[in-house]
Amino acid sequence: MKLNVLFAIILCKLLRLLSRLLHRGGTAMPGRIALKFCPELLSVVSTGVKTVAITGTNGKTTSSRMVEQAFLEQGKSYFANRSGANLISGITTEFVMNSSLTGKCRKEYAVIECDEAAARRVFPQLKPQVVVVTNLFRDQLDRYGEVTHTLENIRVAMESVPEAKLCLNADCSLTSSLAGDLPNPVVWFGIEQGAAPSRPKPEISDATHCIRCQAEYEYDYISYGHLGGFRCPRCGYRRHRADYAVTEILRQGADSSDLVMDIRGEKHMVTVNLPAMYNIYNAIGAVAAVTEMGLGAQAAIAALADFQCGFGRMERFALGKGGTRMMLVKNPAGCNQVIEFLENVKEKFLLVVCLNDRGADGTDISWIWDADFEGLPRLSGYLEQVIVSGDRAADMAVRIKYAGVDPAHIRIERNYEQLVQWLEGQEKPVFIMPTYTAMLELRQVVIAHCGGDDFWK
Amino acid sequence: MELKICHMYPDVLNLYGDGGNVMCMTRRLRWRGIAASVTRLPIGDSLSLAGFDLVFIGGGQDFEQQVLLDDLHRGKDREIKAAIEDGIPFLTICGGYQMLGSYYETYDGQRCDFIGAVDFYTVGAVQRMIGNYKFLCEAGAGGSVVVGFENHSGKTWLGSGVEPLGKVLTGFGNNGKDGTEGVHYKNVFGTYSHGPLLPKNPAFCDHLLQTALERKYGKAELAPLDDKLELLAHDEMCRRLGG
Repeated sequence: MKLNVLFAIILCKLLRLLSRLLHRGGTAMPGRIALKFCPELLSVVSTGVKTVAITGTNGKTTSSRMVEQAFLEQGKSYFANRSGANLISGITTEFVMNSSLTGKCRKEYAVIECDEAAARRVFPQLKPQVVVVTNLFRDQLDRYGEVTHTLENIRVAMESVPEAKLCLNADCSLTSSLAGDLPNPVVWFGIEQGAAPSRPKPEISDATHCIRCQAEYEYDYISYGHLGGFRCPRCGYRRHRADYAVTEILRQGADSSDLVMDIRGEKHMVTVNLPAMYNIYNAIGAVAAVTEMGLGAQAAIAALADFQCGFGRMERFALGKGGTRMMLVKNPAGCNQVIEFLENVKEKFLLVVCLNDRGADGTDISWIWDADFEGLPRLSGYLEQVIVSGDRAADMAVRIKYAGVDPAHIRIERNYEQLVQWLEGQEKPVFIMPTYTAMLELRQVVIAHCGGDDFWK
Repeated sequence: MELKICHMYPDVLNLYGDGGNVMCMTRRLRWRGIAASVTRLPIGDSLSLAGFDLVFIGGGQDFEQQVLLDDLHRGKDREIKAAIEDGIPFLTICGGYQMLGSYYETYDGQRCDFIGAVDFYTVGAVQRMIGNYKFLCEAGAGGSVVVGFENHSGKTWLGSGVEPLGKVLTGFGNNGKDGTEGVHYKNVFGTYSHGPLLPKNPAFCDHLLQTALERKYGKAELAPLDDKLELLAHDEMCRRLGG
């Protein structure tokens, strides 16, 4: 064994111990420093571990939790990077913490969420067996660039693992295009025509023109955003038939959805223990991943019924008499899905929108003008008040005003402590839409008031 | 009174929040009892611009650029030039701004001809210019301080005698070198401030509306609005940027 590997592993473990003694997460920093001494460290510690990697714009964390739940319930020896540290640094830290000093991993499986821009550094070392690409949407242009750049990043990442099985979203014309460019075996997941009412073509779509020939797509149906039954009238590029398909959505409730899934030709009744359309996509993608990892479809289906996501993804807190739900938003596509979810709330409620513009949120907040906050005034019978917070609270207030909400019903409250104290005394249910760093901070304050887990647990 | 607004290429030039500008203009008109209509002019459709009082063109992704150029060269280029010379106000952002110039040259030397409505050109750089920034509009463009967000790799150079929209106070602007931001030619207002430029720069938005109303009706008084939230967002970013 090389000395620098041993040194890097010991260093990584010590730094993590130190972080935890100081009550910090220590999720990424130890790996980042250890990689400086041993750039191929991840490759060493991930050797021999059967890994499923989940990447894409939206739904990485929730999909990973769904997959993880199946491993947990089946009693498999596994670990996951639960903390959201999904760059090479965080993934390396997690592997090292599950390895011996000689770099031998103690677990048989790993469930790894991987940032879509980081995949090209991570995959060549990680060598996953199965890769899920959830979807691609425009996201943080200041960080990722145009969505086609992100697609290219994933393509390059996959070139380093030509054996890995690729689970692709058949309804996403961007991710689907990976299949034609790569030698990898591909399985497809998606939502079939007729499972849900088709939506009108959105005014703003992230993929209007064919990725291959630039002709305008035609759609048989749209499930949301640019996802659906696309086809190019010029070159014939079109949605691939899904091996893992949602064929019927029987019920979409405020807390869960009931579906029929067709899994490689067999029909199954499935309950997903989270609301909203985007979680139906996460669910079918997770089923594909779990099944392709060899755990069987039943294991995946059972997991969907009783998993808890947590960590700001539709997470529930016992804050206030009506309870609080925190729903992370990062980009227009995800934000629209959350606003649409609110349309299912049929009692008076309070909405908190918390907008930050730090590195992990994207420093460019113009995306809030692409999100359909115009849906909020339509909720006027139920939406009592909108409280805006975060570093860019004023910009959020302006957005909501122009969406048509009466400014008298918009309140700015920047102090999280005061905000949470006030929410604690409320009778009505509360829904909080924070961006990433706002979620981390606000969640800490909420937990201090009513309990919950630290982010790395 | 009524303003007819044309939103050109909303299907491809809609990178991050550009629609917010159209929404802002229509709301601020309607709050004052002035009617506003918006006509979307997507790729492939042809329509005379002569009947409009204001034209908006946003920014887009490189991916769709060729589709756009083909469409422009099928006659919309002449249509745009005629409208500009006729004094119709244009607000153009990022890609929509660059498009009005003579050409775009990529950093590896490939040249792409644009419509040449205004004398300027753009050269691609490797390093992108990204971040919040602010600039002071020239007196002829309203004289207000505008805060925005820029994200471009193209460096734009104005021809001699062509006026910029303003002077950069903090950030890069046209090219990061000569301190200019955007272009102001006749009633064309071109800028790199992408996305929702107008909502938090109400003075600039009103200058644009006033320009359009005066062109159409000779004289126009814009009633003041309650801009408390808008100015809060504006002033906060001004303070954060310092300078």
